[in-house]
Amino acid sequence: MKCLLCQRPIRIKPSLDWLLSWRAFSRPITCEACWQKFTPIDRRTACAGCGRAQPSPELCRDCQRWPPERRFHSVSLFAYNDAMQAYFQQYKFAGDYRLRRVFAESMQTAVAQQAADCVVVIPVTPATLTTRGFNQVSGWLADGTNPLCGLQTVARTKAVPQSKKTRAQRLLLTQPFALTRPAPRIYQQHVLLVDDIYTTGRTIRHAASLLLENGAKSVTGLTLAR
Amino acid sequence: MDKTQLYGRQLCLTPAQAGDCPVGVQQLPALKISGDWINCQRCGARLPRRDAQLPNDQYYCYACLTLGRVSTLVSLYHIPEPNEFTQLLHCCWTGQLTPLQSACAQRIQQAFENRQRHLLWAVTGAGKTEMLFPGLAWALAQGLRVAIASPRVDVCLELAPRLKAAFRGAPIAVLHGRDPEPYQYCQLTICTTHQLLRFRQAFDVLIIDEVDAFPFAANPRLYYAVEHAKKANGALLYLTATPSRELLRGVRRHQLTISYLPLRFHQHLLPTMTVSLMPAWAHLLKKGRLPSRLRRRLAEYERTGQRFLIFVPRVAQLAPVHDLLARAFPQMKGLNVHAADPQRLDKVQQMRDQRVQYLVTTTILERGVTLPGIDVIVLGADDATFSTAALVQIAGRVGRSRERPDGLVWLIAANYARTIKRAKRQIEQLNRKGRRIQREVPTVSAPHPH
Repeated sequence: MKCLLCQRPIRIKPSLDWLLSWRAFSRPITCEACWQKFTPIDRRTACAGCGRAQPSPELCRDCQRWPPERRFHSVSLFAYNDAMQAYFQQYKFAGDYRLRRVFAESMQTAVAQQAADCVVVIPVTPATLTTRGFNQVSGWLADGTNPLCGLQTVARTKAVPQSKKTRAQRLLLTQPFALTRPAPRIYQQHVLLVDDIYTTGRTIRHAASLLLENGAKSVTGLTLAR
Repeated sequence: MDKTQLYGRQLCLTPAQAGDCPVGVQQLPALKISGDWINCQRCGARLPRRDAQLPNDQYYCYACLTLGRVSTLVSLYHIPEPNEFTQLLHCCWTGQLTPLQSACAQRIQQAFENRQRHLLWAVTGAGKTEMLFPGLAWALAQGLRVAIASPRVDVCLELAPRLKAAFRGAPIAVLHGRDPEPYQYCQLTICTTHQLLRFRQAFDVLIIDEVDAFPFAANPRLYYAVEHAKKANGALLYLTATPSRELLRGVRRHQLTISYLPLRFHQHLLPTMTVSLMPAWAHLLKKGRLPSRLRRRLAEYERTGQRFLIFVPRVAQLAPVHDLLARAFPQMKGLNVHAADPQRLDKVQQMRDQRVQYLVTTTILERGVTLPGIDVIVLGADDATFSTAALVQIAGRVGRSRERPDGLVWLIAANYARTIKRAKRQIEQLNRKGRRIQREVPTVSAPHPH
């Protein structure tokens, strides 16, 4: 058994309790040392608007600058640090689809906890889908398939990826999404909107306002990293 | 896309990227799927289909991801190597080889001419690069395409300027992952062995330097890369100071020819290893004591000022051993150094400048470091981190000066491990050959008394 992230063998010491409990053995995916490098965000003190890690739960400065929207807020699971950056580099940009398993359990648990009426995934452009071969968010949620996700991108290709822009450039992005046809059933529903990284919030807020305009009751954003 | 970019190469391109490909290009499948396995056509990896899957029944290879992903979404594009060089490289090296070296150089050239697979087993510090020059000069003059590959970037970076100085007339390509230069079609290529995966039947002559170094020895992908990067009738030359058992088996089965260079540049033999069994050394260390024999030896070093290296198996043991030495022998100044040490280069430089008397280190200093006139002590030589190749390389650190061509290589081990036995045997084997040559060639100085 090797750690998916550092490729070093994982050593496990089965305890007597576990042996006698007769439970199924779940293979560890990463080693303890690699997992410790990711810092989970404490949701009790995170920013109420965007889920940023901070000492007290008021709105952060970024969120105060957005026009107030009471029907939308976002939560994040992990802080965006060096380990997370390396992870996304390998998973999303190098295209190592096996790495979805590192966070699949965390994301699926978080989705279940939110108990929303329907789950919508931020889509990737068709051009990205043919080169990368997968939607990084669907990878965590469903195993191996790209389900119809309710949203689609307007453009076929992305001229400049969002990750290559500055903050000011990112904020200039116009609505990149449209509803899929037939339209998803979101009228009067609590929608959970899932994305990979919340940076400025521009992308996920465009998607959220589109859903709200089309009758959703409320939208909760869920991202892996903030 | 320029046609020369694809000569003898195999590039992964999506259908969209391949739109502007020149005519005459071959499109090859990137992955082959058979039953529960997929086969990467670039690196040869055979991977379980379940692990390698992408959505929608697509697959990818995760074994060679660092060179850009191979998947069923892309194809490999290739143009057979035409040897189309407008200008040939010529040799302007004027140095002299010793009689032994030139005999070896001749043998190498012969191997190139006959398109053989050849292994040159030369001791550490024999002057391998210079021996390549006559053979290289011949091959380049014939208009053959040549590559020199090494598992280590450091070796490539060190080789490149020496070859650029020796061969003029056309550019030389240097390819490695550390700072990517745009690829250029050249007659002579210097690259890391990983980069060979991007070539397909390209080279008439392929030279692999330091075959025994990590990661080549442990990685079957790289053997595959070598076989596929050279032309079907290409010559292949392995250079090493510590051939693996697999290579030597190839020699026994007549798949490889072999030649030896058992004497170092100063015409002396390799220093032999002394092994002492001290089963309790780790236990004593925990209690803050040194084995008494080691203590006596170190006391002598303190008196004479003889410089030395102490190798330990693990990074965690560096500080305790160093503390112990510093406390027991406060007169001697030393440092400890490991691979992830930010001051690594500085500390080695201090040892070189003779500002410190000793270094406590892990296997990182096993090769590529020349510290003239040192002794070497290996604590826990039976540990799995010291492979046979590592032990021979460590022994090769000793006796690297004309003034002191001999020295102490002392292995302290809990038991007489197989790796130690094999390392001793390798050194003895070379020294036997060395002695024979010393007897035959009268110009060589008499063997140094042990």
